[in-house]
Amino acid sequence: MGGKDNVSRQFSYPLKTTHRPLPICKTLKKKSKIATKSVTFTKQQYTKMPTETPRKQFQSPKKPKQSPNNVKSQSSTPSIHLSPQTPQVPLRRSSRRSLQPFTSKTVDEMLDLSTPRKALEDLDGIGKCSGNNRKGSSVRTPRAPKCKFNEEDREIPEMGKVGEGNGVVEDAFCPVSPEALESKKTKKGLSEEGSVKMGKSPKCKLNEDLGKLGEGNGDVVLPEKRKKGLRNEESVKTRKSLRCKLSEEEREIPDLGKLGEATFFAVSPQALESKKRKKGEEKRAVTRAMATRSLKKVNKEEKKGRKRVYYKKVVYDGGEFEVGDDVYVKRREDASSDDEVPEMEECRVCFKVGRGVMIECDDCLGGFHLKCLTPPLKEVPDGDWVCGFCQARKLGKDVEFPKPPEGKKRVRTLREKLLASDLWAARIESLWKEVDGGYWFRGRWYIIPEETASGRQPHNLKRELYRANDFADIEMESIIRHCNVMSPKEYAKANDQGDDVFLCEYEYDIQWHSFKRLAEIDNDEDGECANGDEDWNSCKEDDSDTDEDMEYEEENERNVHARPSTTHQLAANSRKGRFFGIQKVGTKMIPEHVRCHKQTELERAKATLLLATLPKSLPCRNKEMEEITTFVKGAICDDQCLGRCLYIHGVPGTGKTMSVLAVMRNIKSEVDAGRIRPYCFVEVNGLKLAAPENIYTVIYEALTGHRVSWKKALQLLNERFSDGKKISKGDDRPCILLIDELDLLVTRNQSVLYNILDWPTKPHSKLIVIGIANTMDLPEKLLPRISSRMGIQRLCFGPYNYQQLQEIISSRLKGIDAFEKQAVEFASRKVAAISGDARRALEICRRAAEIADYNMKNQISSVNSSRVKDVVTMADVDAAIQEMFQAPHVQVMKSCSKLSKIFLTAMVYELYKTGMGETTFEKLAMTFSCLCTSNGEAFPGWDTLLKVGCKLGECRIILCEAGDRHMVQKLQLNFPSDDVAFALKDSKDLPWLAKYL
Amino acid sequence: MGREKEKEKLSEKALNLLRSRLSDPNFIFRPLSDSPDSNYSKLKFIISTSVTEACNNSILLLGPRGSGKVAVLELVLSDLLQQYPEAISVIRLNGLLHSDDNCALKEIARQLCMEHQLLFSKVASFDDNSQFMIAMLRECGLAHKTIIFVLDEFDFFAQGKQRLLYSLLDAMQSVNSQAVVIGVSCRLDVDQLLEKRVRSRFSHRKLLFLSPSKEDTERFIEHILSLPMDSSLPHNYAAEFNGRLKKLLSDERFKELIDTYLSFNFTIGHLVRFLFQAVSYMDLSAGFLSLGNFKTALSSNQRQPKLECIRDCSVLELYMMVCMKRLEVKEQASYNFYSVMTEYKSIHDSFQTSDYYAANVCLRAFEHLLQCQLISFIDNKGHNQSVEFRPVKLLISSAELHQGLKSYQQCPAILLKLMDR
Repeated sequence: MGGKDNVSRQFSYPLKTTHRPLPICKTLKKKSKIATKSVTFTKQQYTKMPTETPRKQFQSPKKPKQSPNNVKSQSSTPSIHLSPQTPQVPLRRSSRRSLQPFTSKTVDEMLDLSTPRKALEDLDGIGKCSGNNRKGSSVRTPRAPKCKFNEEDREIPEMGKVGEGNGVVEDAFCPVSPEALESKKTKKGLSEEGSVKMGKSPKCKLNEDLGKLGEGNGDVVLPEKRKKGLRNEESVKTRKSLRCKLSEEEREIPDLGKLGEATFFAVSPQALESKKRKKGEEKRAVTRAMATRSLKKVNKEEKKGRKRVYYKKVVYDGGEFEVGDDVYVKRREDASSDDEVPEMEECRVCFKVGRGVMIECDDCLGGFHLKCLTPPLKEVPDGDWVCGFCQARKLGKDVEFPKPPEGKKRVRTLREKLLASDLWAARIESLWKEVDGGYWFRGRWYIIPEETASGRQPHNLKRELYRANDFADIEMESIIRHCNVMSPKEYAKANDQGDDVFLCEYEYDIQWHSFKRLAEIDNDEDGECANGDEDWNSCKEDDSDTDEDMEYEEENERNVHARPSTTHQLAANSRKGRFFGIQKVGTKMIPEHVRCHKQTELERAKATLLLATLPKSLPCRNKEMEEITTFVKGAICDDQCLGRCLYIHGVPGTGKTMSVLAVMRNIKSEVDAGRIRPYCFVEVNGLKLAAPENIYTVIYEALTGHRVSWKKALQLLNERFSDGKKISKGDDRPCILLIDELDLLVTRNQSVLYNILDWPTKPHSKLIVIGIANTMDLPEKLLPRISSRMGIQRLCFGPYNYQQLQEIISSRLKGIDAFEKQAVEFASRKVAAISGDARRALEICRRAAEIADYNMKNQISSVNSSRVKDVVTMADVDAAIQEMFQAPHVQVMKSCSKLSKIFLTAMVYELYKTGMGETTFEKLAMTFSCLCTSNGEAFPGWDTLLKVGCKLGECRIILCEAGDRHMVQKLQLNFPSDDVAFALKDSKDLPWLAKYL
Repeated sequence: MGREKEKEKLSEKALNLLRSRLSDPNFIFRPLSDSPDSNYSKLKFIISTSVTEACNNSILLLGPRGSGKVAVLELVLSDLLQQYPEAISVIRLNGLLHSDDNCALKEIARQLCMEHQLLFSKVASFDDNSQFMIAMLRECGLAHKTIIFVLDEFDFFAQGKQRLLYSLLDAMQSVNSQAVVIGVSCRLDVDQLLEKRVRSRFSHRKLLFLSPSKEDTERFIEHILSLPMDSSLPHNYAAEFNGRLKKLLSDERFKELIDTYLSFNFTIGHLVRFLFQAVSYMDLSAGFLSLGNFKTALSSNQRQPKLECIRDCSVLELYMMVCMKRLEVKEQASYNFYSVMTEYKSIHDSFQTSDYYAANVCLRAFEHLLQCQLISFIDNKGHNQSVEFRPVKLLISSAELHQGLKSYQQCPAILLKLMDR
């Protein structure tokens, strides 16, 4: 057993698995399960790792370096990075490695904070000793000449071909916690062994209760499920540098950095081959997908005995690669330039690297020393800067860049190579170790605009990439280093992050050649929030075997999905989990107006006033939100949470749903931070259900993901909530059910409401219901047995008063100078007086901005524009209010035909005469003919008159019965007679009408 | 002879041109759309901002029938489709066809599938379709595509629970899509029909379509009826045609004629129909429009259906109507078949007319009058009663009846006498 232990110790890779929220996606759920199942986290890790650490890691390498030793002073030197795209010195891997202490800082912290536990100490000890080992070995390896092949290399002939002899030989060493080792022995042990499985271990249970996740265990190696052959191990050992990120070891790294100078990249032929294939079949995704699949098949056959092991994070060859990272990927083996990755970008004028500050041309992306420019610049100017060469070229001159001095070839940076498609970039989707020990990742390609069907367009940015929906399995060998692909928001902020910064806003569909904006950009936080739950879910998963199977299935399914459906097409709107073919939707080209248009103040105001725009802050509802928060938190934290039910009421547009959702977002972020127990949240809208009973289906689907008929769902939900029968693992979490538009669920016998509101009173239901409706007295209108369950805790959202509305509007308009102050006040006072509906207030302001914009654009187009205003004035707001609140009937009455006017007058006259609102057509026709004869108009005849009446009735100016009633048709004015009098009093063609009004 | 034929050919060509113009809403509404105050430019601005600035919007187009709501909308849409090809998809629904929420959502899903070449399933449920719609809204928003929902006869959608409007408008306030909901209705109070939750989500932009002013109408008529000088028609013919038309338009009688026609319905659609009729009466051998054409068109428009009905009645039916009239004069407010029969008998007794028929024959005549809608039941109550017991009401005035009797050729003289008495 001892020997066995040894083997596994050597073998287990000190891989760091980080808990990182993945975008919510069904296929990814499972993956996160695997990746996290054996890992516990510290709080710090939990929160920081996904956001800060990677960035630090990635940013820092691009910062210029003078000496690898004083890293911190380096990264804090602000003056070096100036213009947005200032090409900064891309570091070699060696120097990047020297930055490791930076990264490891979080790890240090983590370790410091972790509760001292025996396992951890053990771990530390191992780390130390292995660190020592490492020191020795790592000194040895770089000295080994380039072409020194290891025996292991020869054993695997393909790898021998790699030529160039650049296999970096470093020692793999593996500090393994005893627990983890033990868990490796048997699979059974794995599921029972505490430290690995979160939900199972009593220790972790404790941690969980404390709100802290298991600490210090983040570095624990993922357990191997099977024993591997020695051969594999050795080959891995020699060819890969895999380190455990323990503090002890990290301290060694600066030394390593110096040595790293001699390292080269190993290119695996396999990866190259796949790349070549890619090159050949750029347009044919099918084959590539098939190829990947066939690989899978082989794996499946093998699977009985051996399995892939998936990781979240791999420290490979001196770089840390995490799922979700972006990397440069090699394209060619033969390109000699690949060997010499330039340390820094050279100045385009003096062709030296130098230390001076460089500025980047926004047009050609070339770098220039400030001092090399004519005239030299002192500082980096704000805004766009275009170099003299590009300016001259734009003017139509023929310019040549200065030629490099004799004997020196200009070295291209990786960025240049990528944009010239000599390199590729990919995003790591998953990382795993093959059965033979090779490290692979699934990459999602980024493509440059030239590779798309529409080609590069003038409004494409220089550093723009597209994310393709094309995947490939690539060996980790072919990774060059990290690059940094950002969303537009990050990109705008990324002023000084060096040369490897790219912008990616769109996804490119290689089948349909269409673009689509990346969804994650918009709903970043949502995705993360949703993930919090999933991860909890996965932590409790203990059957790892099935997990892995599912992973395989998922992958296959994804492949099938990626292929154009050859078998049978599924209808897009019959939703069995997903919509088929919806990926077809996309633009063929990125429309120009999206990029080239610079928003004016008014347009920005309009955009921020949109109802769909989620405001940064939600003013004026603090009290209510606090109340909801305390209610929800109290309910979650309470073990029993019996009979928890909150009824929220208020008129439309007072922020009921928004407040609840905002509270839920806050609570979710607290769950993510580990302070609150996880829960599940189900949102139902009564008005969006086809029938009240369907709510059971919707709830059940939201909880379990299965869709059943409502009767079955009711039965299952009853079992779950009333009888306390738990079907799956996540069922013991408290469940918060938000029912919007609750009044729509009222059926004749009110059984739906009764069932839903009865569940919370059951001892083991852990159900919390929040109901939202408009009417204050809805519980009273219901049966007493329902109102007794619902009506206890209530929260009223009163209509906003004008100050609140003003605050809401101005908080949205913060920083945009587009509205006169009185204009906002006018709008909010008007709305507050009528309804207090925030939506209405926002819409009025938006409409006012639209009117102002419209007028402005028309003024510009007309030549005699005396003054161009771009602020929204009172007049605009007034126009918007008129449009929204004033019924249009007065205008229509003013412009209607002559006979209609007389008809209306006759109606009013008749009303005055009789005092009765309702009249018949017969009587009215009499009055009409009287009016006509006494004022010299010709009587048009009864039938025409009937038509006139019906026309008015169509517009609902009068209410009338159907025309076939003729004489006995009943008529009534739909508006007050004063309106008619007002509209018709001064009509020009019929001045005599005023007499009768 | 040959010359005349040629002329006829020429005028036929002109006639065809005019007719095709009159049935082309594009041509009719184009000249009205230039000014910044026109609904065309306002509507175009609202929709195009939604395309360029990626925002959601909802608008109501209101106005009496025939005022060109849909025509202007189509004009705007066709222009925008040209301006932003691929970026706009239009979903058209009609309240008369799709007022049921379920069927409306199905139709939306179907049209979305058609638009994006997806496969559509007929059996998908309401939930499926609404989720599909929301997913499509999101996807299209990401792809910078605008979906325009045109809801014609909007008032029919504003009935019942209004699930469709709610889910559409709610999606627009929660999803980052770019969609425009355009409601078209002739009911001016349609926004009052919206349920309070739906109303709160609706943006209450309204465009009102009104009748043109008098001067606009004249300019409009000239624009439509004058022949183009630079077409295949010979120049001198077109010049003469236009000269005559100008003279006609300045004619007082013509103005009066148009006024009388428009006095009862003052919309563009109504006017266009009249012009089409008038143009069709054009004398091909003369080759020019004349006042007579418009007069015939007007008289064919001003018809009195009830009077024409009287002409088709039998003598017995006339008797019955006169009896009813007499009963009304006697201030007998309601009468049924039997009271009419008593009156009829009393007339027969006092005047000994030759036209006396048995009760069952009279009943048939009575029923025929009901079918012609010269008389009708006073109320809708008492469906289970038999016809002869239900109170009825004469639907023509005494003046009309008198006129009808006079114009009736074999009308017995006694009837006219009875009317007066």
